[in-house]
Amino acid sequence: MSVRNRELVFLVPALVLTTVGFALVYTQKATVLTWTSLTYGGLFIVLFLIAHAGVRVLASRADPYLLPVTALLSTLGLVVLYRLDEDLALKQAMWLVVGLAAFLLVLVLVRDLEWLSKYRYVIGGLGVLLLLLTAVFGREIYGARLWVRLGPVSFQPGEFGKILLVVFFAAYLVDMREVLTVSTRRVLGVPLPPLRYLAPLLGIWALSMALMIFMKDLGTSLLFFGALLALLYVATGRFFYVLVGLVLFIVGAVGLYFLFPHVQTRVDIWLDPWADPSGRGYQIVQSLFALAEGGLFGRGLGRGYLILPSGSTIIPNLETDFIFSAIGEELGLAGAVGIILLYLIFVYRGCRVAVRSRDDFTRLLAVGLTSIFALQAFLIMGGVIKLIPLTGITLPFVSYGGSSIVANFALLGLLLRASDKAD
Amino acid sequence: MDKPLRRLFLFFVLLFVALILQLTYVQVWAASDLKTNPANTRAVEEEMKIERGVIVSADGVELAVNRQDGEYYLREYPQGGLTSPWMGYNSLRYGRAGVERVYNQELSGESGLLGITSYWDELLGKTHRGADLKLTVDMKVQRAAVEALGERKGAVVALDPRTGAILAMTSYPRYDPNRLEGIWKDINSDPGKPLLNRVTQGLYPPGSVFKTIVAAAALETETVTTATRFDDTGSVTAGGFVVNNYGGTAYGEHDFAKAFASSINTTFAKVGVSLGAETLAAYARDFGFGESPPWPLGGAVSLFPDSSDMDKAHLAQASYGQGEILATPLLMALATSAIANAGDIMKPYLVAQVLDYHGDILDETAPGVWLRPISAETAATMTDLMVEVVTNGTGTRAALSGVQVAGKTGTAEVADDEPHAWFAGFAPAGDPQVLVVVLVENAGTGGSVAAPIARRVIAAALGL
Repeated sequence: MSVRNRELVFLVPALVLTTVGFALVYTQKATVLTWTSLTYGGLFIVLFLIAHAGVRVLASRADPYLLPVTALLSTLGLVVLYRLDEDLALKQAMWLVVGLAAFLLVLVLVRDLEWLSKYRYVIGGLGVLLLLLTAVFGREIYGARLWVRLGPVSFQPGEFGKILLVVFFAAYLVDMREVLTVSTRRVLGVPLPPLRYLAPLLGIWALSMALMIFMKDLGTSLLFFGALLALLYVATGRFFYVLVGLVLFIVGAVGLYFLFPHVQTRVDIWLDPWADPSGRGYQIVQSLFALAEGGLFGRGLGRGYLILPSGSTIIPNLETDFIFSAIGEELGLAGAVGIILLYLIFVYRGCRVAVRSRDDFTRLLAVGLTSIFALQAFLIMGGVIKLIPLTGITLPFVSYGGSSIVANFALLGLLLRASDKAD
Repeated sequence: MDKPLRRLFLFFVLLFVALILQLTYVQVWAASDLKTNPANTRAVEEEMKIERGVIVSADGVELAVNRQDGEYYLREYPQGGLTSPWMGYNSLRYGRAGVERVYNQELSGESGLLGITSYWDELLGKTHRGADLKLTVDMKVQRAAVEALGERKGAVVALDPRTGAILAMTSYPRYDPNRLEGIWKDINSDPGKPLLNRVTQGLYPPGSVFKTIVAAAALETETVTTATRFDDTGSVTAGGFVVNNYGGTAYGEHDFAKAFASSINTTFAKVGVSLGAETLAAYARDFGFGESPPWPLGGAVSLFPDSSDMDKAHLAQASYGQGEILATPLLMALATSAIANAGDIMKPYLVAQVLDYHGDILDETAPGVWLRPISAETAATMTDLMVEVVTNGTGTRAALSGVQVAGKTGTAEVADDEPHAWFAGFAPAGDPQVLVVVLVENAGTGGSVAAPIARRVIAAALGL
């Protein structure tokens, strides 16, 4: 079977599953199933079939599993949002349309990855500019400065900035690779490159520290640093960089812990949310309660206790940061592990794109994009289940949020383009 | 895959495996702890969706009902603070207490009693409903008890000594269960402890109401008869401790019946010493000291010191209810009911029937004997002594015209404060139908403060 037919075969059950999900939530809400409840499902079958057709034309040899996985994740997120708040689901649906358009646009515009490599400094500059924009014009929401108002819409430039910076860094490392792997000295048997070549590492470190200090954005900072460190490692094959990077990060993190109260609060809540379960620890404690309620198989779509009698969600930011807790309650451990495995499939396919790539830039680009994606999913899922301190970032494709959806579809576009070039 | 890439991928796999492990821990391993965590109101929330059973008094007054608000049933208590000390509350925010807590399974329809009906109802898509409770409390008596106690710190309990059915039970200070949101902080920090049901949870020195137990023990063991002569000089020394009569009165020569009627401490100290610590402790146990109240609503265990720890001085003090004895008003009521019920103490109960929503009886409380501390003869003799208390002794203010009331007053001395006023009595003496125990904290003598309250409650119970 050709790759595109394989994609189609996987896409259809994904979307049928989603349609069933919508119908389930709808019957929970209205007790009668009407045709309108199925229109959502129908709409997205059409939308993703258009995306599929686009891939057929624009990147016919691209990986066949990435799009179905994305379809499943994004429409599943939509089902959960629909269950929480119909208006929110409608907005998210529109963002999905915009996201799919951005996905096709990326495939149309970026016909050749060399083009990206060529304009790497422009792209890198644009990435930094987007981040700076946030630092300067950003409004603080939930203690982090992430949002910029542009006319009627607020958006998070950071979501796009990090992708641009990954593109830049992948291209930059292709240049630097030779130099970075040259070792002149050995200390205790470990080959050491000349110290001045640690500059890129220090650059990343400085940038991620700046993100934490000026934007109070722990999540993006960690994400950024982790992804670029992964890139550096894959580019050079030197574990030494990872080691130095980790030491730098730990030093920085410890410093920030003592300097900034909001970092301290995050860590303290993580260590002991039970000290103040109705105050500072409320969100994470409620998240754990929701997960416990879900158990193995969940309470069923639409049957969880997510909305308070007052109409607000029991867990603040349920539709964005904590959507994974809602999934854990309604679909149980089975559903939540399913989501985790979907992300793992995505990451696996991403790594495969890197393996099969024919040139360094494609390879590094795939690694960078996959790393960002994997780390983002890990950080937020780990945060809401109290595995690691909570950082306020979105669950890719699932959380509510226009910037996040559009940026991740753009990322998917780049990854498909890379895989089209690879095979 | 080449080495760095493979390692990177393995690292990601590791991260995701960690997620799955932690998730399994939270959702399966720690789930039951999380579900029962006191900060978790989800379980209550789930039950708020169930139409909870209604609670009515014996005379058909609605005490706990539901108001529907969206998909939730919110609990309302039409009688407010009148019933709060034992009714408790059922709140999304504060959990449950009292009857609402103890009978939650029945009220929320989870009890096996409703098992089959609710299973079919569920299959048929019917919303499931909790079982109703019909209590033994008679609101006429309850209201009389609440009004008679008034705004004095204390407790009143009335029961039917023949069955153990609670007719009224109140405690002051109380709270309004309909306004928990507004008053929660205050009632939790209030030094008057309005959340405490003083009838079942308040432990007080019983003072002279304990003399009924001492007298019953002395008569039963034939240590004394009602005619045994004593001489009182106003004080007596036991083990180096000087026992005085209340108010310092000297009664001169008298018999045991007079000692009981006038509550002469010196004579009871002598009787107690001749009974001995072991016998007295054994009788205290027989009357229910040292045991949890035999009903699901719980309560404090009344305490009588271990006989081996009691020297003569302590024994003398114990003989008139002072020293290290602590009793709940409920236990004093149960102990006294042995006298009113021919020697048998019936198990107390508050819930007469559990009914489904058709009104069919699912469960009915059958009265049962708890303890048998004394013989019917001793009980009859004690009744005569207690009638004398009300007709000629310290308890005259409990007397009612047309009905013979039997009782015993108590004035329990406490350090640095006014004494606690006690009264334990029943009526009609010849055919006891109601037994009342009154306790008022730091209020004065039992005869002047507690007896009039008991009188009003007895009158209400007998319909006078």
